[in-house]
Amino acid sequence: MLKDFRIRTGAVIADGAQAFRGTSDKEQKKRFKRDRHKTKKVAVFRYAYYAPAFKYFAEQVLDCDYLALPQATRRTMELGIQHSADDVCTPFKHMMGDWIEALEGGADVLVQVGGPCRLGFYGEMQEEILRSLGYDFTMLNFSHGIEQGYVGWAKEVMKTVNPDINVPHGVKQLLACGSMMTKLDEARDLYMANAGFETERGSYRRAWEALLDAFSLCQTPKEIDIAFGSFMDRARSIKLDKPEHPIRIGIIGEMYTAIDMASNLDLDEKLMAMGVEVHRMLNFTNRYTRYNEPNLRRSISDYVAFDMGPTTTLTVAAAKRYAEEGFDGLVHAKCAGCTPEIDAIPVIRRVAEDYKIPVLYLTYDTETSDTGLMTRLEAFYDMLAMKKEASLR
Amino acid sequence: MAILETVNSGRPIRRIGLPRALLHYRYGALWETFFQELGYETIVSGPTTKAILEAGDRASIDEACLASKVYLGHVAQIADEVDAFFIPSLASVDHRKGFCTKFQSLPDMVDNTFRDQKLDIISLSIDDATDEKRTQTAYLDMATRLGALKSHAKKAYKKAVTAQAAADEARAAHLAETVSLVEKYRKVAAGHVQEEKQVPPLILIVAHPYIAHDRYISGDIEDAIERSGGVIAFADEHDHAKALKRSYGFSETLPWLINRELAGATLELADVIDGIVSVSAFPCGPDSLFTDALMRRVGNVPLLHLTIDAQSGSAGVQTRIESFIDILRFKKEGGYLDA
Repeated sequence: MLKDFRIRTGAVIADGAQAFRGTSDKEQKKRFKRDRHKTKKVAVFRYAYYAPAFKYFAEQVLDCDYLALPQATRRTMELGIQHSADDVCTPFKHMMGDWIEALEGGADVLVQVGGPCRLGFYGEMQEEILRSLGYDFTMLNFSHGIEQGYVGWAKEVMKTVNPDINVPHGVKQLLACGSMMTKLDEARDLYMANAGFETERGSYRRAWEALLDAFSLCQTPKEIDIAFGSFMDRARSIKLDKPEHPIRIGIIGEMYTAIDMASNLDLDEKLMAMGVEVHRMLNFTNRYTRYNEPNLRRSISDYVAFDMGPTTTLTVAAAKRYAEEGFDGLVHAKCAGCTPEIDAIPVIRRVAEDYKIPVLYLTYDTETSDTGLMTRLEAFYDMLAMKKEASLR
Repeated sequence: MAILETVNSGRPIRRIGLPRALLHYRYGALWETFFQELGYETIVSGPTTKAILEAGDRASIDEACLASKVYLGHVAQIADEVDAFFIPSLASVDHRKGFCTKFQSLPDMVDNTFRDQKLDIISLSIDDATDEKRTQTAYLDMATRLGALKSHAKKAYKKAVTAQAAADEARAAHLAETVSLVEKYRKVAAGHVQEEKQVPPLILIVAHPYIAHDRYISGDIEDAIERSGGVIAFADEHDHAKALKRSYGFSETLPWLINRELAGATLELADVIDGIVSVSAFPCGPDSLFTDALMRRVGNVPLLHLTIDAQSGSAGVQTRIESFIDILRFKKEGGYLDA
């Protein structure tokens, strides 16, 4: 019995029998729990503002260490381009750069999510490319186990990363991780709507960054709630000078590029800096946590009969809702070669025609220049501003 | 709403249009037979021409793939001659046997693209094309919506499935015959140095059926291979079920049915072919990853990849094919020390 325990916990023999006899039941339990932790370093690709949630996932759900990636640089992009097929969609290249930098930084486990389009095949190809480059690592690829849904994914996690996960605890923490992502989205929505009108420049940004820092330190659902509460408190007290009819722009598009600031070259920040109220229905919450595609599609049944692709329903529904609510313009952002969003464009065009709302179509690849983007956004803004002025007169 | 939920009483439907593009090359026999058996006249657009491609190009978003542009061209070609188009939506419920999202969005994409022309579109949604029962239900439901009796629809569907199976078998037989002829030639020539040199190299074309069998898109490639003395086998003609099964040895998570069939067929034929020419339409989503996987995983078979876009000229293709086949011949003769 005693021997059995040692083997199971992996306790060191030297502090064996005596130490064990001297501990109470409660302490034994605690030690058992601590030993579930694996010191593997888990890295997740860079994606928008979700890093604190990825950290929470690695530490609290997988019960491993988390390897934080620094800001992406030009080098990240170059590594990605160098090791990806030419005509693959741009997120693949961003992620390849992320993986190489993560592995250089000491990552043991890479987490790839899988998904309904090409994304479903990303993991397998990226793993193969990295192995052929000679890297040694484990990939937790959620394209495996997808047939069985959550059960399959749980099995995959236990098999590849940490067999000692306390499953009920892990599930609870996974829900907390989801709630953190929802709160990040909620905070970002508030930020995008208001940061363009703050009287003291940078107040929102500071509050937002404090929230990211606080979320990075959270270990329990309660801490998440407290951190979020203090952000909301701080954000609401920021003084705004908002005109009665601000220019409002809705960002729509593809799940990665329309949200990820490294990919879209800070699209939302650039618009906010011009004094625009920015909205973006597309985020983790609306695409995953609360996604009910058939019901969402009811709102656009004048335009489409079927689900057209991974985020197309959300893209079109958002476009129509913004148009109905009298927004001044839409920005459609996607990566080069994104088939589902290319196929959404004919539909967006019809919505734009019917509601007479201007749309700026942006396609990002690895060569998209910051200045070029700025010029287009400024021209778009000027056009909207003139239109607005004429309509208010 | 131009996608018909029920029969539009004001406008009788007699002629149903089937664009000769995309999955028509895969399910055409099924679709034609089904509608004919239900009593409709089916109108299939003619082979792709320059005019069709240009019309498709004009109707399309610039960034759409060549195959998609060609499809819209075919729709425009016969729009005046038909009462309604049949354009199904193929979703990817099974993560291992799905389709490019293009096939999911097609009916709505066509509907919105040609909104001013007010096309009528008959459609249905197929969750999982390999699930025979659910696929049948989808087709029968559609027939009922069009006003057919259930028993009649069932009979029609049965005939349609038989017709499709016959077409698939004929293709598989054609492939098997090509391969066996080359193998016979090899056997006869074996041991004779001069004759062995004359055995034509067997080239496997790995491409989606709507690329491989659309003469306007890939005809130049096929002609160039034949002019250079090669014999062509098409990977998409291989027995689909067998190829699909084999493809799990190629990749576990590959999400697309057609790419799976191509991969499986390539593995099945890897020992008998001399080289692979893989052809993609620009920019093909699935192929952007699949071709990379193919290059990494087919092992010792030499591979030439060609991407075709609307501006491709035939001269470049000719040169590349010629040199590829020269290399194959040279290699066969033991030309390269380490090859």
